[in-house]
Amino acid sequence: MNRRQFLGTAAIGILAAPALSRRAAAQEGPFRVKYFPVAAGMGSRDTTPAPDGTIWFCGQRNGTLGRLDPRDGSYKLVDLGKGAAPHGVIIGPDGAPWVTEGGQNAIARVDPGDHKVTLFRLPEKEAYANLNTAVFDKNGIYWFTGQSGIYGRLDPKSGDMTVFKSPRGRGTYGMTITPKGDIWYASLAGNHIAKIDPATGNATVVEPPTPSQGARRVWSDSKGRIWVSEWNSGNVSMHDPADGSWKAWKLPGSNPRTYAVYVDDKDKVWVTDFGANAIVRFDPVTEKFTAFPSDKAGANVRQLDGRPGETWGGESGNDRLVMIQTVAPA
Amino acid sequence: MRLLAVLLLVTILLPPSAMAEDGARAFTPCRACHSLDPAERNLPGPNLSGLIGRAVGSDAGFDYSPVLRKARDEGLRWDAKRLEVFLADPAAMFPGLWMSMRGIENAAERQALVKFLADPASR
Repeated sequence: MNRRQFLGTAAIGILAAPALSRRAAAQEGPFRVKYFPVAAGMGSRDTTPAPDGTIWFCGQRNGTLGRLDPRDGSYKLVDLGKGAAPHGVIIGPDGAPWVTEGGQNAIARVDPGDHKVTLFRLPEKEAYANLNTAVFDKNGIYWFTGQSGIYGRLDPKSGDMTVFKSPRGRGTYGMTITPKGDIWYASLAGNHIAKIDPATGNATVVEPPTPSQGARRVWSDSKGRIWVSEWNSGNVSMHDPADGSWKAWKLPGSNPRTYAVYVDDKDKVWVTDFGANAIVRFDPVTEKFTAFPSDKAGANVRQLDGRPGETWGGESGNDRLVMIQTVAPA
Repeated sequence: MRLLAVLLLVTILLPPSAMAEDGARAFTPCRACHSLDPAERNLPGPNLSGLIGRAVGSDAGFDYSPVLRKARDEGLRWDAKRLEVFLADPAAMFPGLWMSMRGIENAAERQALVKFLADPASR
């Protein structure tokens, strides 16, 4: 089946559905796609589910962190400060959202109770880090990337922060942690992924087999294999650190642009394709792709996250969040 | 109008070296994706050497967002004014732009960056 036929199959479900909630004709399950409009012009991008069922999301264009209640679609916005431009958000061991806040060149913690914002600023010599993505390690240390070519660690308890230069300079982008606790990042401009030794802070570069592939984001599966979204090549690839092997799959279509990657609790791989304006599910067992094109042009979903039964993203171009239900509700 | 006059005055009175420094500083975050060295290719963003005067979305070989391809097809060109408006809120000028950044609110900073990009002698 070619890409046009393939996407056309999913589109039948979209056209027949209500405006904001529809059932997509997917190949492997009764996936339900739901959109949640948020504030116009906010640039809703990275998302993460909170322990209480709400969804935190970054408003890069208006400097806010949002909190959506998916039960009724209501949301609140937390002002992160003057000039804020939040990029990524994750939940810490304390249950709070932690934000890579590029506008103020700081890591921001937002208290989930009173929404008080606490900033941990980067050292002055790293004034333009272009903060990007982060993970917490098993010891509660917050690791982060900066696209200017840095990565760093922050101890939330003491506030101590150390910034390291990425071995090949600019481009340090997505980040992930494996079940074993290993930390990896991707370098978009550097066309590689790298593993960080938490003890020394040193990073070891691993080259994907596809040249100039544009490794943008990474996500570990339950086996510690690193899935990579390759922006330039339009591939999703997988590196197994256990044996050093690589596999790569080209997304369907004539000009795929793979931006985000996320691996769900069933080890199914979700990516976003800017070329097709779609969220795409990849089943590593069958090696089949299932596309969920947005019902609006220019969705630009830049990151994915989720919880069992739900995959979440932010349509930064449409100021909406999107959720794909991967398990039929009881 | 008064604000515009003040900004113009600041631009004129500011020592060239200070403005160049401001421009270079404002360009620092852009370096993650863009280069001003015409020989440096294959970055996540288009090469910005010779930007002023050229058509929007016209770096040969770069795969632009659909909205920028459309602007190119409509004949839009970069000049200093368009660039400054763009930098204030890129996604407002070109909705659906693949590049993701918050606009530069500070007018003096925007103007310094425009000058830095437009005039190689100022770098």
